[in-house]
Amino acid sequence: MADAAVRIRDVSYAAGSVQILSAIALDFQPGRFNVVLGPNGAGKSTLMRIAAGRLAPTSGDVLYGETSVAAFDMTALARRRAFLSQNVELTFPLAVEDVVLMGRYPHYRGVPSLKDKEIVARALDLVDMTARRHQPYPTLSGGERQKTHLARVLAQIWNDEESAEERILFLDEPTTSLDIHYQLHLLDTAREFLKRRCTIVASLHDLNMAFDYGDRFFLLESGRLVHEADSARAVPKDLIERVYRVKAETGEGGYWRFRL
Amino acid sequence: MRLILRRFPALLALALLASSPGALAADPPPGGRVVCVSKQINEFIFDIGAQSHLVARDLTSIYPKEILSLPSVGYHRALSAEGIVSMRPSVLLTDGNVGPNEVLDRVRSVGIPVVTMDPGDSLQGAEDLMLRLGTYFGRAQQATAIVATWKAGMAETIADAKRWDGQKKPKVMMIHFGQIGNSYLGLSAKGPAEQILEWAGGKNALSGDGHMAHLTPEMIAGARPDIIIATDVGFDRYGSAAKFAEMPGVNLTPAGRNLRIYRIDETEIMYFSPRTPASVAKIAQWLHGQ
Amino acid sequence: MLRRLTYGQVYLLLALLLAASVIASASIGAFMFPPSAIARFVGEGLSLLPSRPDDILDRNVFFILRLPRVLLCGLTGAILGVSGALMQGLFRNPIVEPGLAGTSAGAALGAAIVFVFGSSTAFSFASPLGTAGVPLLAFLCSFGATMLVYRLSTSFGRTDVFTLLLAGIALNAMCNAGTGFLSYIARDPQARNITFWNLGTFTTADWRGAILVGIAFAACFVLALRHGKNLNALMLGEDNAAYMGVEPERLIFRLIVINTIMVSVATAMVGVIAFVGLVVPHLLRLMRSSDYTFLLPASALLGALLMEIVDIVARLVIQPAELPIGIITALLGAPFFLWILIRERRSDTYG
Repeated sequence: MADAAVRIRDVSYAAGSVQILSAIALDFQPGRFNVVLGPNGAGKSTLMRIAAGRLAPTSGDVLYGETSVAAFDMTALARRRAFLSQNVELTFPLAVEDVVLMGRYPHYRGVPSLKDKEIVARALDLVDMTARRHQPYPTLSGGERQKTHLARVLAQIWNDEESAEERILFLDEPTTSLDIHYQLHLLDTAREFLKRRCTIVASLHDLNMAFDYGDRFFLLESGRLVHEADSARAVPKDLIERVYRVKAETGEGGYWRFRL
Repeated sequence: MRLILRRFPALLALALLASSPGALAADPPPGGRVVCVSKQINEFIFDIGAQSHLVARDLTSIYPKEILSLPSVGYHRALSAEGIVSMRPSVLLTDGNVGPNEVLDRVRSVGIPVVTMDPGDSLQGAEDLMLRLGTYFGRAQQATAIVATWKAGMAETIADAKRWDGQKKPKVMMIHFGQIGNSYLGLSAKGPAEQILEWAGGKNALSGDGHMAHLTPEMIAGARPDIIIATDVGFDRYGSAAKFAEMPGVNLTPAGRNLRIYRIDETEIMYFSPRTPASVAKIAQWLHGQ
Repeated sequence: MLRRLTYGQVYLLLALLLAASVIASASIGAFMFPPSAIARFVGEGLSLLPSRPDDILDRNVFFILRLPRVLLCGLTGAILGVSGALMQGLFRNPIVEPGLAGTSAGAALGAAIVFVFGSSTAFSFASPLGTAGVPLLAFLCSFGATMLVYRLSTSFGRTDVFTLLLAGIALNAMCNAGTGFLSYIARDPQARNITFWNLGTFTTADWRGAILVGIAFAACFVLALRHGKNLNALMLGEDNAAYMGVEPERLIFRLIVINTIMVSVATAMVGVIAFVGLVVPHLLRLMRSSDYTFLLPASALLGALLMEIVDIVARLVIQPAELPIGIITALLGAPFFLWILIRERRSDTYG
């Protein structure tokens, strides 16, 4: 069996009497773009939060390599994985580079080192925000804000050393409310980052975009894993029609077209 | 900030050093500079002619008028030590009714003695206070003369008061500040005010064991006073007996209906003084028309 | 205004201004001490200079009344400034301060309880109960009030401004009612202390108070400084802070404890002084940055600076008497608060 970056072992989660995830078992593949799919309410976000160690499962376990995520201390965990949410609230006037520097917080005490500052500069460069690094965050557009946070999470798990263990980047519906330019830019940048010994776990709504960028797909329905596949074509059409409650057909270049 | 903290022990040592000389001074020599924060003591100092020693007063010391030319160190219950000390007094005189509590300690700690002369609530205590001040300021003769006249006046007043025995005494309410919020301050039992009222042939409409009571309109109406005596501060806020009579509660009393509301200076009834016989006579006039 | 300066340069500037204000505050008042006199007193006090007998009163006033007051005033300002920054970080909202969230009113109530029910001679620092009792009960009530406001106004890691304001008003009203009730049932000297002390003033400053507040400040400030980064992370919400290695629940609890200790000790000594905690961090945000690693130390400096200036004013306005300082801070701070509210509402509508 291939090495797993993140191993989800029979994870169930219930909030009160409501069962949200039921016995999910899956391996997110190292160095690949893993995509979690499923309609609203399927449990994608809950699975992501549990996989990132923010939420403890009701039963089951999450392993990074051989270690249970519950065994990490908060700082070590923060150096190992980062998490980008769909929209981050920040109303205080902080400069863009100060926001990106937050990604380095788990790496230093007191004042940032030269290396931390260099990583911030490179992360800003990677998302094309270098020119705006002194601008107050609240004056940015929605797309620029999400770029800033992408730079922040990339700085958090920036991996320079060959020997260091694999990093994990969680993207929880990261493109929601972005225009198409920013959507493509964000996913391109993320894919670029795979080269730095990184595993991506993303939840996405747009199936065509997911199939363009993803390497491996996990389809959830009502808190259960119903399908795993390596390509868009490997997901059966009737399954997509059932899970998403739409009529689907394949069009030009293998892209899906949907209608009710 | 850290620097200051590190220097703390040194500064503390300095402060202790500085506080040792003079902190335990004995009785002050008479004839020094006096800050007095008691209206009764201030009045008595003027009576014996020792006012040249006064350098400052408290806000409520306004009798006699000449005292108003002195600077005020603030309300006697919200004093500031430095303000008092800045008058460079040789002594601070109080009657014990001062605040905040720590201020007296502060004043003492810089080497200024604090002398508290509490006359208590009795006529005897007030007379003793006058004599004590006489000795203190080296004007015992004047004080003795004043007390002699005063005693004679009081003896006459007390003898006069016998004529109210067996008569129907009107019920009198003494209101100090008028209305503050929904509350009035009334002068109740066991104070000089009540004693003065009794000599004048009146009966206090309020009972209670403190000097002051918070009154409500219902309490005032329920006490049914025939006459209301309002001190200057409260009365002047309304300006006339007619206006005063319109206050809630007051308007339901016989005093309010008949406009039997009179103004008196606070200093005439809050403590005993050589003016007391005159005050008693004045009040008796209001109560009995004779 | 100061945007071009580095943090270090801003600290230096504030520290210089603070030093100037401390010297001014030590010099100006009912007694005027020119710097030459201050230098002479220090020389005499340290026995470097022969003691001049006609200096005794002035020297005593300087060392026993003025100096502890200047220190207590600066330390209290620093505490309120840091507390404002901490609370604004905790609530993720720029309008919070100890006077608003019930922290100060709770401390006032706690202290009033000791005044009235403590020892029969009211509030005497000579008795061991007085020394420990006032700050201790002030802390307990203050902590209860702050926690309650936090819990009521914050759910799922978000603080709702209107709930916060309403909860703050309600808690303040409850605590003030409690204090008011106590002042009614108290006998005279006790009641006098409560009402006097509700206004906030430094007239009763002494070395004991200055040292106690100094210790509370030093300890809490050192602890608070370690959390600058965590407060920054918390600006992105509890979840995002957690993904950056912060344990939000633990952080919030710890900071409320630290904050309440400082504020309740200061309040137990000098009474309620509102709006300083609101104004100080806000000015720094406008002038330089919202970065808490900067705001915490800078708020201490600016808080102390502002408080020294306000205290000089309090001492001069009706000389030789003086105004309670709480009156002045409220007079200046309340319009500032309204201005912030209006600004916040505008930026809400644009966002």
